[in-house]
Amino acid sequence: MHAVSADAVIVTSGLSKDYGVGRGLFGLDLEVGRGEVFGFLGPNGAGKSTTMRLLLDLIKPTFGSARVLGLDAARESLEIRRRVGFLPGDWTLYPKLTGRVVLDYLAQLRGGVDERVRDALVERFDVELDRPIRQLSTGNRQKLGLVQAFMHEPEVLILDEPIAGLDPLVQQSFHALLREVSAQGRTVFLSSHTLSEVERVTDRLAILRQGRLVVVDSLENLRKVAVQRLEIEFAESVDADQFLALAGVKEVQANGRTVTIGFEGSADPVVKAIAAYQVLSIRPREDDLEDIFLRYYQESPA
Amino acid sequence: MSWPATRITLRLRRTGTLSAAVGLIAVMAAVGALFPAVGHTIGKLNVPAGVANLLGGADYGTITGWFRSEIAEIYGPLVIAALAITSAAAATAGEEEDRILALVLAHPIRRSRLVAAKAAAIALIVFVIAFAVWVGLIVGVAVGGGGITFVHMTALAVQLGFFGLASGAVALALGAGTGRRSLAVGGAAAVAILGWLINSFAPLVTAITWLKYLTLFYYYAGYDPLARGIGFPGLTVLGLVTLALTATAIITFERRDLRA
Repeated sequence: MHAVSADAVIVTSGLSKDYGVGRGLFGLDLEVGRGEVFGFLGPNGAGKSTTMRLLLDLIKPTFGSARVLGLDAARESLEIRRRVGFLPGDWTLYPKLTGRVVLDYLAQLRGGVDERVRDALVERFDVELDRPIRQLSTGNRQKLGLVQAFMHEPEVLILDEPIAGLDPLVQQSFHALLREVSAQGRTVFLSSHTLSEVERVTDRLAILRQGRLVVVDSLENLRKVAVQRLEIEFAESVDADQFLALAGVKEVQANGRTVTIGFEGSADPVVKAIAAYQVLSIRPREDDLEDIFLRYYQESPA
Repeated sequence: MSWPATRITLRLRRTGTLSAAVGLIAVMAAVGALFPAVGHTIGKLNVPAGVANLLGGADYGTITGWFRSEIAEIYGPLVIAALAITSAAAATAGEEEDRILALVLAHPIRRSRLVAAKAAAIALIVFVIAFAVWVGLIVGVAVGGGGITFVHMTALAVQLGFFGLASGAVALALGAGTGRRSLAVGGAAAVAILGWLINSFAPLVTAITWLKYLTLFYYYAGYDPLARGIGFPGLTVLGLVTLALTATAIITFERRDLRA
């Protein structure tokens, strides 16, 4: 056991929720520090939402416990919920009512919020307040969800798949908001099933797989072990198999004159080898989260 | 209690409740208008006892009998139970299935207060319908030429209101306890309809007469409020059932996991 740092805002110890047949969350030990933007990654069904629901006492743990802001998640949930903003995954709220009515209601449940903060968020995300929620697109509904999560200036934000459905411009303004919030010493715990959504904003991330924590580390460290891929377009056909012999290369796929090479560590051997040919273009392919999963999955004893 | 939660529940049910109330008053005025004609034709027929009981101890010869069989036995309880049950199921299990509760309960509100707030909204909806029945009776009886005392009309509306509360509480307990809307609606509707059937047939089949004491319907209509006034034992039973079921709803909801 390691000592819990004084700055830890979210701490789980052995947190478990057993839904049977291997589903659920098993023995989660996690610590998220003040001011961190912490990414919680994993494929669907890995236990990300379950963890968030446990933190908010929407469900009770089978074993283990969690503390948020030093408060017990089960016994002191009301105070936790006062100080936390939550965006549920795939959220909806009263489809017949307008965004304005719904925001008013949620603000009333908190005993009121600072209207200037709310209005600034509405403006920032360009939220449609006067149409019934069922008429909003997924992205517009998501923006409304973000406003309600941030409007009371919570110390901790628990956001389940916040980026889903947001267009790139809104994503940028969301990322900017996260940086501001983090700079103010507020903590963000957000989930995603794709790395590309969170890589620009997270300080550290945890990868969850089938209800178990696979790894917790900084993005930088994870990158080092991740498979990178380069898509190289040659001027003429080349023998792709030769690249397999290079140090660090894990996979090679040829498609006409285009060869995709996946490798670990330094790109140097690959770059040197392809320099022997006429290269028309080199495109980096996005790091694939699945590769990181796979990597850790293979390493962990079965 | 949480007034915001009560208000939003009422807002969501406003249109349905008000149209049902207006519809009730209109139907009861029409029922009243039909009485003079019916009373002198069907009212003079010799209807078999079984059919008569199914139609609410049909006695179409008097305005009390006419309103008893048309409104008190069928239309009134049907409308009030339907509104109470659908509102109670929607406000608890429905919101849970629509994933609304997951967000609402991430706010600083106790589950018990939320259920109490929903229960208060449902009680208000029931009150509006019972009030419409009362207005409808006054209008309908006046249109039909009078003949039921003000006290007895009030008694039916009060008794019916308590029946609505108890029926809604069944749906509330099932909805808050299980988080399944279809189960809450189906279970509470089954309780209401079985109760009505048992009370219709119990007078005919002595072997099942005792069953009527297990139904909410008996405590609503068993005393015949339109002819005899308020039956306080029945009101007490309905009130206690409502309180017990609401408490059950709160306790079970407080303890269980929210459905994903």
